[in-house]
Amino acid sequence: MQFFGGSEISPSPPLPTASGNNAHMMYIFNRNGVCLLYREWNRPLRTLDSNQDHKLMFGLLFSLKSLTAKMDPSSAEKGNLGVPQLPGQGCSFHSFRTNTYKLSFMESPSGIKIILVTHPKASDLRESLKYIYNLYVEYVVKNPLYTPGTPIRSELFNTTLDQYVRGLG
Amino acid sequence: MVREVSESCMDSLLTEIVSSYCNRFYVNKPELAARRIEAIGYQVGHQLTERYTIERPRFSDHLEAIKFICKDFWSELFKKQIDNLKTNHRVSFRPQILQLEVAIQTFWLLQGTFVLQDNKFRWLSHMSVDPSVDISGAGQEPFAMSENKSAQATSMHLYFPCGIIRGALSTLGIPCAVSADTSNLPACSFVIRIKV
Repeated sequence: MQFFGGSEISPSPPLPTASGNNAHMMYIFNRNGVCLLYREWNRPLRTLDSNQDHKLMFGLLFSLKSLTAKMDPSSAEKGNLGVPQLPGQGCSFHSFRTNTYKLSFMESPSGIKIILVTHPKASDLRESLKYIYNLYVEYVVKNPLYTPGTPIRSELFNTTLDQYVRGLG
Repeated sequence: MVREVSESCMDSLLTEIVSSYCNRFYVNKPELAARRIEAIGYQVGHQLTERYTIERPRFSDHLEAIKFICKDFWSELFKKQIDNLKTNHRVSFRPQILQLEVAIQTFWLLQGTFVLQDNKFRWLSHMSVDPSVDISGAGQEPFAMSENKSAQATSMHLYFPCGIIRGALSTLGIPCAVSADTSNLPACSFVIRIKV
């Protein structure tokens, strides 16, 4: 339900075809905020340069996580807002949706954050994010030529990821 | 009674062997590091061969031994067989024919090379290089140089399997030299040169 305009004013983007390109872009951050990977498949509008864009995304998710954990009605802990939390502590926020996109988020216990921006009609992508995390472990962590904490530059990972994402509904 | 080990642990151990020898024990001396890693492989190959040939009769000739490496030995280690075996081995040793022995011996000096090709070498299956050359702020790196660096890094990881093959063949009574070639990951070729 929208108060400030119906779906006629800001129409949703056209429905995705079965041949893929439902995902717009993807970020992977590590625990320290270093952007390990940024993949883009369909992004018509770019407003900031990439560094600022990454910082904005990381900051947004950090704040959202903090906020959702503090607003949790089922938790008894009454810490201060803004206190950094360990991954897995508190409730875990996993997606938000607007009329033009849906952002899905997953954080691993090691602090690796995977963010996937898709079409708003996408279903729950938690299992897909887990699969992507598996791909990360197989082709990045187990790659002897990769130094942890540096941006990912692996051809195998990129191709497998692209293939998988094209198949997402 | 078969005891099992997690494959991820094995992979991490192998990665760390190469990393430790190249970056900590023999920094800036890649040839020494390579030799040490190959020597470890030699021991492992020796012991594995003793174990896997425990109930078999002796091998009649070099080709049989190489076929054992390609089929049974490779299956035990990597759960698959060698995909392609090439050789220029044309003459087989016939000790009864004394007058031809000398001629055959000299033939052997030139021949006796085997190429074992594995199209998806298990220990290289997670390895991958830069998809593109990055022109970073520090300066331009020519494409050839970065290719060389990644090729060198990849080849360091092949000394261990080369050592294993060399150890295995030496235990079977065939002294040899083994080298590896990875022009296209994850396929890998091992070249065995048998010493006469």
